[in-house]
Amino acid sequence: MTHSENPIPQSANENRTLPAPDPTLITAAAAAALLAACGGGGGGGGSSSGGSDTSAKPTAAQASRFLGQAALCTSDDDLRLLQLMGYESWLNQSFSTPPAGSSWDWLVSQGYETDTYRYSSSPSDFAIWRNLITAPDQLRQRVALALSEYFVVSATGLSSQWPQFAMAAYWDVLCTNAFGNFRQLLEAVTLNAAMGQYLNTKGNQKENVATGRAPDENYAREVMQLFTIGLLELNSDGTVKTDGSGKPLETYDQGTITNLARVFTGWDLDTSTSSSTSTLTYRLPMHFIAARHSTLAAQFLGTTIPAGTDGVAALKTALDTLFNHPNVGPFFGRQMIQRLVTSNPSPAYVARVAAAFNNDGSGTRGNMQAVIRAVLLDAEARSDAALTQQYSGKLREPMLRFIQWARTFGASSAAGTWKIYDLSDPATRLGQSPLRSPSVFNYFRPGYTPPNTAIAAAGLTAPEFQLTNESTIAGYLNFMQSVIASGVADVTTTYPNEQALAADPVALVNRLNLMLAANQLSAANLASIAAAVASISAATAAGVTNRIRAAVMLVMACPEYLVLK
Amino acid sequence: MKINKSTDLARRAFLRQGSALGVAGVAAPWALNLAAIGEAAAQTATDYKALVCVFLYGGNDHGNTLIPCDASHYASYQTIRNNLAIAQANLAGTALTPTIALPGGLQYALAPQLTLLKPLFDQGKMAVQLNVGPLIAPTTLAQYNARSVALPPKLFSHNDQQSIWQSSLPEGATSGWGGRIGDLFLSSNGTAAMTCMSVTGNAVYLAGHQAVQYQVAPSGAVPVRGIKTTLYGSAACAAELRSLITQASAQSLENELAIVTRRSIDTEVAVTSALAGVSPFTTSFNTGNSLAVQLQTVAKLIAARSTLGTKRQVFLVSMSGFDLHDNLMALHPGLLTSVSEALRSFYDATVELGISNSVTAFTASDFGRTLTSNGGGSDHGWGSHHFVIGGAVNGGRFYGTAPAVSINGPDDVGQGRLLPTTSVDQFAATLAAWFGVSDSGMTTVVPNIGNFAMRNMGFV
Repeated sequence: MTHSENPIPQSANENRTLPAPDPTLITAAAAAALLAACGGGGGGGGSSSGGSDTSAKPTAAQASRFLGQAALCTSDDDLRLLQLMGYESWLNQSFSTPPAGSSWDWLVSQGYETDTYRYSSSPSDFAIWRNLITAPDQLRQRVALALSEYFVVSATGLSSQWPQFAMAAYWDVLCTNAFGNFRQLLEAVTLNAAMGQYLNTKGNQKENVATGRAPDENYAREVMQLFTIGLLELNSDGTVKTDGSGKPLETYDQGTITNLARVFTGWDLDTSTSSSTSTLTYRLPMHFIAARHSTLAAQFLGTTIPAGTDGVAALKTALDTLFNHPNVGPFFGRQMIQRLVTSNPSPAYVARVAAAFNNDGSGTRGNMQAVIRAVLLDAEARSDAALTQQYSGKLREPMLRFIQWARTFGASSAAGTWKIYDLSDPATRLGQSPLRSPSVFNYFRPGYTPPNTAIAAAGLTAPEFQLTNESTIAGYLNFMQSVIASGVADVTTTYPNEQALAADPVALVNRLNLMLAANQLSAANLASIAAAVASISAATAAGVTNRIRAAVMLVMACPEYLVLK
Repeated sequence: MKINKSTDLARRAFLRQGSALGVAGVAAPWALNLAAIGEAAAQTATDYKALVCVFLYGGNDHGNTLIPCDASHYASYQTIRNNLAIAQANLAGTALTPTIALPGGLQYALAPQLTLLKPLFDQGKMAVQLNVGPLIAPTTLAQYNARSVALPPKLFSHNDQQSIWQSSLPEGATSGWGGRIGDLFLSSNGTAAMTCMSVTGNAVYLAGHQAVQYQVAPSGAVPVRGIKTTLYGSAACAAELRSLITQASAQSLENELAIVTRRSIDTEVAVTSALAGVSPFTTSFNTGNSLAVQLQTVAKLIAARSTLGTKRQVFLVSMSGFDLHDNLMALHPGLLTSVSEALRSFYDATVELGISNSVTAFTASDFGRTLTSNGGGSDHGWGSHHFVIGGAVNGGRFYGTAPAVSINGPDDVGQGRLLPTTSVDQFAATLAAWFGVSDSGMTTVVPNIGNFAMRNMGFV
């Protein structure tokens, strides 16, 4: 059975009949209009990158596979678009689509700016889940989620008032800057109020010789270790540089941190223009208080900030220094590949992404669009060869599986309140929840290798396996069994697009295979799933429903689905 | 990354890790270690022992966990800690009187929140290991400053120091010393999978070269509901679900997922039924204390040892939130209260089970912290103090060398970060020896132990 030849069903709300034009004739403007018509959120100003897309047009399976890496679900509209436009045009259109909306604004609209919720972090879970499940700008959402696992702030680590507003503002920062420049993103992250609380730049004060107080080192350390350069000197392909005896070269030492920590003194929450409830404080960047800023010189990574330098200028110099370090391209690029495409990119793939980071082709460093394009359009990401390789791909993150379920089947909140809470409980929920990492080291580490596995024996990594154990595997299956039947809170679906297919289990399973798994389930598994589903009588409405539920569950439990290849 | 190079990659990874540490023992080929395991595993256990690691994630502030309380040392502590100092008056109730006094009139008090642990120290059931941390070899301050001795890589970094504490290697390590101890006793247990058990998340500590970590939730083993009888009313779909999630695959990620799934399914029934047969404890565990809940599950698993056929078990539980760069004075006491409560309940439960002499629990953490204040908290350090608790412990006293309470003193690598005077390998070897690891097996458990003259600290 060749699953890539399935006809693409029209979505239930599809009322246009697309002609079958020569795809190469579609203009950028027409494509923009098409994207907008398909729920792209409008705002489709003409792309300036031209429509001369010369790459081959994908099959349905290839398009779905691409969406598994670049988006949060495969929709009928995106499938059709991709097959018409090709990958590059789809990316260009996505880049020119503005953010769907502010999670902060949504919280205000939902009435959370009242004293009842002053110390409640759950509303930001609602806002972020809602955004991830409903926002039409899928590429931006997917990249922002990946960024949230790199520039980690966790609602679980905030103890101040208005944590939900702080987290929503942080999520807005990631969404807003996802297609901008890494340097601006780094600064926005650094001065964000939630990050300020999480890694203690907020309220950080200069040294005091009389009391022995030293600046807080937390942000100085983690901005280097996790957000920019990492611990070891890297070649441009992400491999580690070593000295003559083969020992890895470390990028910095404790002295570097002690010096850089001085730069991050003097910043605090901006309460100067706060509203009566003071939520605005958590949306504004932190502001600078000169009296608290260290006036000592700071020497780090070959840069010297002279004693007495203005703190704002010192911050700019420090962030410029970090941003321009040659490690950033391979360090950041490799992790973006791991979040979107594969756990084990080749050094050459990393090098190509790093090169795009270093120079977008017009001399600009840190262009996020260039990085995203390089990650997603690389031959290693797009070649069908990965489908048959022993170690290709990555384990899908539990939260992405759930989001994919909700989007694919059009789940929505009846009351519009999206009360999906923290789903981090490993035994009964997903063992993962957006912006709920247990620490700044994310849910899993980029270098994690599951011990005593073929993966370890091969010297490879599988970061998401750090969340995989005997409890979480059962927890995920149990949670999804419940979710598929009855949703979460009032977020439910009736599987409108699957109802008509339930009479034909083979067709039903084929559609789920395409939409959820990019046709990556084996013929044998498709046949056995269809046979099991067919054993449920479809004579009653309940039987139809159970057929759909069982088919969805079986596909989403199958390892061939769980590993995104 | 080309697949057919994988063996070479794995070999190079080992060599790289070995050379990073500058120690030949670690770079020894895996096969050799396995051979050594084979030899050492001849020692089979007939009695029962459990070793329980209580990992405090984030780096516990040792400075406010064990506090110098005699007048002169307290004054130094207070001057250095400044706004982080615990008032001396609050230490009176937890001041310790060891069976062997420390030199120089130094006296320590437990943090005021550790009141439940003080009786254990007084009864000789709790020992304190002073200033322990990762070292490759004994290291003086002069050697540290001159970098003339091999040092653990990536000092002061959370994830790496967690990994080094647990495995002797930075992040990316694939076996830890708990797992390597487990390797030696796999044949002692009816079910090998129950040798190394985590009641918290995945951690390298419990992975051996052969031993694998088996994870249970604080609530016990989690069943896969959909395979039990019917899935959405269909027995055929339940059977299909079981088949799909357990099937072997040529794709390695898929296959490894199925391996964990099979272990989950196969072990769950035995664990669930064994735990169901455990009588409720008289000892109370605070259900609002996540560490206590985890330790209660460990106690239940120990209680079920006959049913489960286990003789030697290595457990891991954990608590997080210790990375207190800020709000130390507000938050640290609450964390210590939880630690105190949980460890005490656990010890009491082992007494209740009549098994306390066979169960040893110990604390571990990423690192100690700076003694100086950054205004609201303390920053990443190195050496730290840790507790060892159990009926077999030679408690009521301190082990190792007490660090000077000073800045720029003989143990200070900056801002009161302690240069350890006892290595994690010595600490681990002491526990492993109690557990039954022979001298010949010890280098497979802690590869650097040969660099230290004292292989057994004597606390248990």
